[in-house]
Amino acid sequence: MILPVNNIKHNINFSAGSNEKEKKSFNSDYDHDTLLPSTTLTNIRIGMDKLTNAFTLYPAKGLKGSKNANFYEFLTMGTVPYIIGSLGLMAVFNFANKFFSPFDKVQASKIGQKMALGVVLYGVFKSLSKQLISRPVNMLTGVDTDQPYAKVNYELPDHINDTDITSIEYHKVFESVEFPRWDLLYGDETKGEKRNFRYDKIAKKLNMGDNLNDSDQETKPRIKEIIVKSNLAKSISSYLWAATGVALAFQQPWEEYFKVMTFKFWKPKEFLKSLKIFGRSFVNSAKNLYKGDGRGIAKHAGKILLGVAALSSIFGVINTVAGVKKSPKSNSKVINPNEKHVVS
Amino acid sequence: MTSTLIQNYILSPKQTVNQNLQPNQVIIKNPEKPKPNFDIQKELDNRTFIKPLEGKGRLLSGNIFNAPAIMFKDMVYDAKALKHAIKGEANDHELGKLNDFGLFLGGLAIASYLFTRKQTPMTKGMEFVGLASFLGAMSIWPKIAIQLPAYLIHGVNVQKQYEDSFGRKKPFYQDPQFLPWDLYSDKEIDKMGDRLGVPRDITNRREFIQEKMKKIGIQNNTLWMLTAGFATPIMSGLICNLVEPHLNKYLDNRTNKAADKILTNLDNYSQKYKNNALEQELTKLLDANQNKPLTKELEESITSVMTRYMDAVTAESFKKDLKEAAFGKPTYKIEDKNVKEILSNLNEVFKKVPGADEEFLKAVVPDEKGLISALQENGTFGKNIESVDFSTVTDAVKNLVVKNAKAYNESHPDKQKDIRYIRKLIMNNMGEESHSNPVRIVLAKATSKVLDSNIIGKLKKVVKFIDNFNMKQFALDEYALKKVGAAPETVIANYWNDVSKDLMHTLGFTSEEIIKTRSDRSLMGQVLREKIEYVVSDKDRYRKVMEKLVKKIAEINSKIKTSDLSTPLLNKTSSNSAYDNIVDSLFDSFANNLRKPDIGFERTARAISGVDKNDIVGTAKQLQKSYVRDRLLGVKSSFYRIINTMDFYRRIASDANSIPALKGKYIELQEELIELCKRITLDGHSSDYATKFYMMRNPEPTMEYGNVEVKNGKVVNKYFGKTQELTDIPGDKYFYQDAMRLMYEGDMHSETMAALKESSIKDEVIRYRDLVLEKLGGEKYFAKPRHLIRAENKTGSDIKFLLTGIAPDELIFKTGQQLYNSKKWLKIFGGFGAALLGVTVLAQFFIGKMKAPERTGKK
Repeated sequence: MILPVNNIKHNINFSAGSNEKEKKSFNSDYDHDTLLPSTTLTNIRIGMDKLTNAFTLYPAKGLKGSKNANFYEFLTMGTVPYIIGSLGLMAVFNFANKFFSPFDKVQASKIGQKMALGVVLYGVFKSLSKQLISRPVNMLTGVDTDQPYAKVNYELPDHINDTDITSIEYHKVFESVEFPRWDLLYGDETKGEKRNFRYDKIAKKLNMGDNLNDSDQETKPRIKEIIVKSNLAKSISSYLWAATGVALAFQQPWEEYFKVMTFKFWKPKEFLKSLKIFGRSFVNSAKNLYKGDGRGIAKHAGKILLGVAALSSIFGVINTVAGVKKSPKSNSKVINPNEKHVVS
Repeated sequence: MTSTLIQNYILSPKQTVNQNLQPNQVIIKNPEKPKPNFDIQKELDNRTFIKPLEGKGRLLSGNIFNAPAIMFKDMVYDAKALKHAIKGEANDHELGKLNDFGLFLGGLAIASYLFTRKQTPMTKGMEFVGLASFLGAMSIWPKIAIQLPAYLIHGVNVQKQYEDSFGRKKPFYQDPQFLPWDLYSDKEIDKMGDRLGVPRDITNRREFIQEKMKKIGIQNNTLWMLTAGFATPIMSGLICNLVEPHLNKYLDNRTNKAADKILTNLDNYSQKYKNNALEQELTKLLDANQNKPLTKELEESITSVMTRYMDAVTAESFKKDLKEAAFGKPTYKIEDKNVKEILSNLNEVFKKVPGADEEFLKAVVPDEKGLISALQENGTFGKNIESVDFSTVTDAVKNLVVKNAKAYNESHPDKQKDIRYIRKLIMNNMGEESHSNPVRIVLAKATSKVLDSNIIGKLKKVVKFIDNFNMKQFALDEYALKKVGAAPETVIANYWNDVSKDLMHTLGFTSEEIIKTRSDRSLMGQVLREKIEYVVSDKDRYRKVMEKLVKKIAEINSKIKTSDLSTPLLNKTSSNSAYDNIVDSLFDSFANNLRKPDIGFERTARAISGVDKNDIVGTAKQLQKSYVRDRLLGVKSSFYRIINTMDFYRRIASDANSIPALKGKYIELQEELIELCKRITLDGHSSDYATKFYMMRNPEPTMEYGNVEVKNGKVVNKYFGKTQELTDIPGDKYFYQDAMRLMYEGDMHSETMAALKESSIKDEVIRYRDLVLEKLGGEKYFAKPRHLIRAENKTGSDIKFLLTGIAPDELIFKTGQQLYNSKKWLKIFGGFGAALLGVTVLAQFFIGKMKAPERTGKK
């Protein structure tokens, strides 16, 4: 593998390097691509970092047309329209209401508030529902499809005095199915870790046996399959769950919450009451969505939507796991010398 | 799959593996001798060594003509991607595509769910329009706000797409660190350089142009990301606003045609409702209870099923018919178990007697044998009796109890009991429905009538009639609902909204006027009066407005043909409308079936279609007809009132002094009359007509005869409004009569008649004016009994209310508020969207700035 040029290890510095503050801050970051723990805290930290950069650093670079702007930054900036668009949607359905006559205002606000809540629940359900795929898959196969790592990028200096030539990007090890970062999963033998300990774990979970000589090579094709299938499951099920979130927001019980809704946490009594009623409205709305009202399809639409979303997650996990959990003997990926094989 | 570079190397002719090689066969090949004077640098320079495959990537250019083909190709690609992903064989590009598919699927799920929650076709349809507009806005915004301006200003297509060697479609500027410049020829780059104003005499011109294009690409991508969030929801909303009226028009036509089909094809259409639900449910109930006692509960269950879809009046008649003609008179039989129950009840009841103890109860409550023999004696035990015989039974019980009580009092002088109270306890609640009389409560349950095959046969016959009737009535209800129902998006509701909005436009209401007056009906009314007075002040202006107004209002008769649905009050024709004929036929036929001798449900038949053709009051048939007539009359009256109002204003503006109702009166009185009528025509409600108008007038008007002065459609008052001491004059019946004549009597203005001449509503408008005079002018008000302009009539208040319709100022007020809401939304978000578009386009002028290298001076 071609390793990235590391200016720290080789003491390459484009400046005098006398700035201690700069040095300290850089050293506190990563000096090479680093596997990060897949914890909620890390994910929140990464999310906040990406969000901050998406609204500040990357647009600044992009608007300048920086030669260092890259695809990662472009993709990360995708959060901007997502968040602003959500707020925009809320505004479209609510902002003008205050100018309407009292009766019209009440009627318009009823729909507007549900729309706004729908936007929020869309995002929440979409985000959380991915866990319905990745957690069971991780549990059943040992493959953490959300495993993050920090990538150290070396940029071109903007000018002769530009010493800050590194940028940290947060990726997932299995972000690319064609180029997963296999290298990051190897153990550090200098720290006493077995080189293939992560692959061994996966191989065991996949019923491929213990103490394989080359568990990495054995598991890689299966891991790839898991990544592809779990990605598909996430893509489909997360949007269906998001739709369920919107449907939930459109239930009548929320109207009780809208009457007492407040975000003024500095008024604890009102805020706690609002939270309590939020919980109650959530439960009642969920029941309402399931039970439905009206006749025919209208009565069962909520059930159907919930069912489809749940089934998409269940089938997603089954499709991901079922094919790969088989004995090594039945592995069709074993090379047949009589067949033509191509390394791609 | 396309070969990769290494594959090409492996399979290059010189090194192709012999596919027919046997597993154990070893081929020894002599290595080729090195060429003499082999120079690696020369070979590399001449590119005769191993070289990569020719790239198959290409720039894509789409246009409106190949768009469908591209779309189809993309769909095929997505389908293949899905197949690959399910098998776990997809690549990154394919997985990316599937995310878009998921987004679409989720959107479709949201739209579909909300579709089921909405009640009307329009709101249902708008759910999908909303989805399409949102997805459309996501894709249109970068094209119109980024791609097009960038192309026009810089000549660079920043949304250019290319297809790589593997057939994967990608945006050219997606990854600035990997731009496939080789896809652009030198000529194309040069041309773009010229367009970008890059001097021709610089070194490495191509590289510089590429750098500039890359910079433009990066900056535009960033601009896209920063603006799309604001633009997409706003654009989506604006697209919905644009689509809504067209969709509304389409759905209105569709609904109207669908409704027309119901009426012309009622027999077939009503099959939709043929489920024989009542028959099935009743049969189940009857079969389960065949030859079982016909208890009150069973009767109620049967009645409940059979009257499920009947109105309350018909259901009440039906219940009585069921009792008399189907169930027959109930009979009861007293047996041992009933006697025991009576005695048990007596025990409970007599506990209420003050000082009652076990001894008293034992003494006063008859023994079983004694009671049975007493009932045998009066012939009520073990035989079928009717409810009229209940008193014989209670008398027998009472006599025994009283006899026992007397005996008890005699034997217990210290524990005397009140005989009258004891008698009352048995005799109270004499009615058949008694629930507390200790004897009757038992008798009522001791029914001996059974649900026999005769009753079952009759009930099954009746329920078949009901099912068949319901089937067609439901279809008729659907027709009525689609056409004139009191619901959104019916034909009449759409017509109402359409005419109301058009009226605001025709009368020339401006946005500013709507904004200023939207929250006050009287202010809006004043503006309306100004508008009308302005319109009527000029002949041509009036003609144009009236023609437009009449044309718009007359659309009702093409949407709802009078031959299909009529308002008999407005249409003089003697022939019934198609709807009325169908209703007559259906209801009469149902009633006749129920009247048949073997059924005998006469009461119900009367409730449905009356005794004869003239008996219409309160019948179900009349209700079915009057609902649609009333809805139609209310709407037509509201708009005909506007025509009459405009006409009245025009008559005043053009030649007030020739109007008979004003002739020969004091000027001040004429001014008062005109002012009252101008107000009443604009804001009068049916209550104003009913109370014969109220106006603060001068009780001592100036006695000056002459003509009122009218200028620019307005009366220049000489006296009116100049007197301080004003009062209502309730005894002046002539003032009321003159006002009514002024508004509704006599010929309409010739210009109004000209506009109405060819219109389908001409006769109806004329008839409308007559009706107001007849129905409202003939309405007697107890406080002003002589304020009549026509003979007193007994017309119901509903018709008077419908004839008055909505007051024009109220109509404009409500429509104004709706228009304000739409305009306000449009102003806020349309303005924001336009500003965003402007800023985004303007930003292009600050994009792609680069310092050009030094010029060499050589071309």
